[in-house]
Formats: sequence, C-alpha cells, structure tokens
Amino acid sequence: MKLEGKAKMLRIHFGEDDKWHGKPLYRAIVEKCRELDIAGATVLRGIEGYGASTLIRRTHLLSFSHDAPVMVSVIDSEDKIQKLLSILDEMVGEGLIAVSEVEVIKYVHQGGVRSE
Amino acid sequence: MLTTGPAKKVTIYVSQDHLYHGESLYAAILDFLFYRKIAGATVTRGVAGFGADHHMHTDRRAMFTENLPMKIEFVEAADKIKEILPKLHEMVGSGLIEIQDTTIVKSAGSDPKTTALIANESVPSLKRQSKAKLMRIYVGENDKWHGKPLHTALLESMRANDIAGVTVYRGILGYGANRRIHAETALHLSHDVPILLSAIDTEEKLRAYIPVLDDMLQQGLVVFSDVDIIKYTHDFEGAERRKEPRS
Repeated sequence: MKLEGKAKMLRIHFGEDDKWHGKPLYRAIVEKCRELDIAGATVLRGIEGYGASTLIRRTHLLSFSHDAPVMVSVIDSEDKIQKLLSILDEMVGEGLIAVSEVEVIKYVHQGGVRSE
Repeated sequence: MLTTGPAKKVTIYVSQDHLYHGESLYAAILDFLFYRKIAGATVTRGVAGFGADHHMHTDRRAMFTENLPMKIEFVEAADKIKEILPKLHEMVGSGLIEIQDTTIVKSAGSDPKTTALIANESVPSLKRQSKAKLMRIYVGENDKWHGKPLHTALLESMRANDIAGVTVYRGILGYGANRRIHAETALHLSHDVPILLSAIDTEEKLRAYIPVLDDMLQQGLVVFSDVDIIKYTHDFEGAERRKEPRS
C-alpha cells in the first residue's frame, strides 16, 4: 500500500461503552477499516471528557464503570476516507466525526506480513 | 564518522549534582551528544576536586557525597563541534568547557553510514508565532531501537534536537501497515498497543528532524498538519529554580 503527500485524517470521538451490534463500537470501526483496506487505524482512550450530551465521562479506577472518551484516528487518501465516512454515518449514533488535512512524511513497513 | 587526521577533543567539567531541566546535567549532556550523533563520549567521575567556587568536593569523609566532579570527554571533527557548541554552552552553565586540537591515529568502529547532520542553530524556535506544524508519529509499543523502546528513544532524540514539546499517547487498539491488529486484551496488559507521539514546532525544526527519523523508524507512519499556536508559555522562573542543585 502506498500513501504519500496530501492525505486526510479522520477523527471519530465517542464513548468507550458505545456498542455496534453488540460489540464495542471502536472495535467495530477498526474492523470496518480493515475490511475497506484502509492504511491504518488507532484507538486512543482519554481519561476524562464530555461530549454533545454534556455528560462527564471519567474512568474510575475502583469501580468498573468505564465509558471513558475514545478517539479513533484514521489516515488515508481522500477517496478512501469518503468511502469510510458514508458507512460511519450509520455506525456512529452519538459522537463527533472530524476530517482534517495532513501531509504524509513517511509511511514504512517491513513488507510481507499481511496476516489476519 | 571520524576519520584519521586532525580533530578536536572537548572536555567538559560539571558537578555531579548539577541539574538541567530536572535531570542530572551530565546525563543530559550525554543524551544530547548521543542523539546528535557524536562519534563517542565518556563520562568519568572524579574522587575529589574543586571548581570556580573554590569549594572542595570530596568523598574523603565517610559521609555519602553526591557532589563529586564529573568529566565528559569526546572527540569529533571541528565543524561538528562548532555546530553543537552553542547548545552545550547553554547546558553547561557554571561548568567548564575546554577544547584542544588532537590527532586521530586510528578511528574506532567500522560503520561507514553517514550521519544525519541537523543544523538547527539558525532555525528560529517556537515562540508565539501563529503558524506551526503538528507532527504525529505512529509506532508500535514493541518496536525497539538499539534495545530500548522506540517511543522512548524518539522522545529522547526529539528532546536532544530541541523540539519544543512532545506528548506520547498509548492506544488501546489499532493496526498499521502490516495489518496486524494491536490490542489491549482484557486479562493482561498487552505490550504491543499502538503508540502515538505528537510534537508541535516550527516547520523548519520538524523538517530538519526528518533525517533522524529516517534513521530510527523502520516501521510506522509520520504525518504533518497545520496548526495555529494560540498560546505557548514557559515557566522561566520555574526553569531557573529547577536548574539549581537540590539542597
């Protein structure tokens, strides 16, 4: 896969507890990205935050209540991102999706490993 | 790479308990030399000595003293020394720097790789300019560089190259170019989750750093994007306080 020069970065913000067909939404999104042959996806968990519904989300160490904010960031060419966006629209019920411009400086991998 | 012939030998004298941004000064200098690709450096700790303040530092008394003299020595080509000297000058503070001519009779090592020169003394630093670049580097937590975690090495090298600030994030799930899923599993903490390093500085500074990245990164993604600096403050008083030895 080649990725260079101008590209788009997609960031999707939602809660860790959000589900899609019974599985964590962030996992479902990463799997969907793989299905669409998107260059890569990274899920980051925040430690505190709030969203559109102004509910404070916080990770509790002692209780197992999570629902921390999570952010999925995806970088690929504009058409790939557009393709993903049309699907995400349906998957992300409550959250924020933002697209920005990025310039790819380096995209390297030790070839060959494309295992499932 | 050092070749036989004329070169310079630099000797720096500092005190063991001198600090540089909260870290011991000699270690900070060594890191700086390391990530600026100086051919080699040696730190030796003296057993006794005195400096400009004419205060005797010794371990003669039975008590444990941490204030012994430290000597950092390295040999490099004259132009390379010239390039790093301004920064060394700033770091060493009240210590002493000495340079002498020397001749290399036999150079060490056999690695012919050319080193990436980062001439950034002329590059303006990030102040309150409105336009800047945000650099994001995606690597895996398991990636190693010379035996240490790649993200730690990257952070140290960015610090040594005067990048204004870096934040390291640990992801919980992701995949990259080789399409292997990196996930944090429920029962144990996986040690191969995605790591994101983000740094903001001027475009020149970040572009000057790319050769170093080329050298260190075998696998990963690096992207730049435009950002506007709204506020960049630095606690100068705090920094001065931190430079002083702890009592």
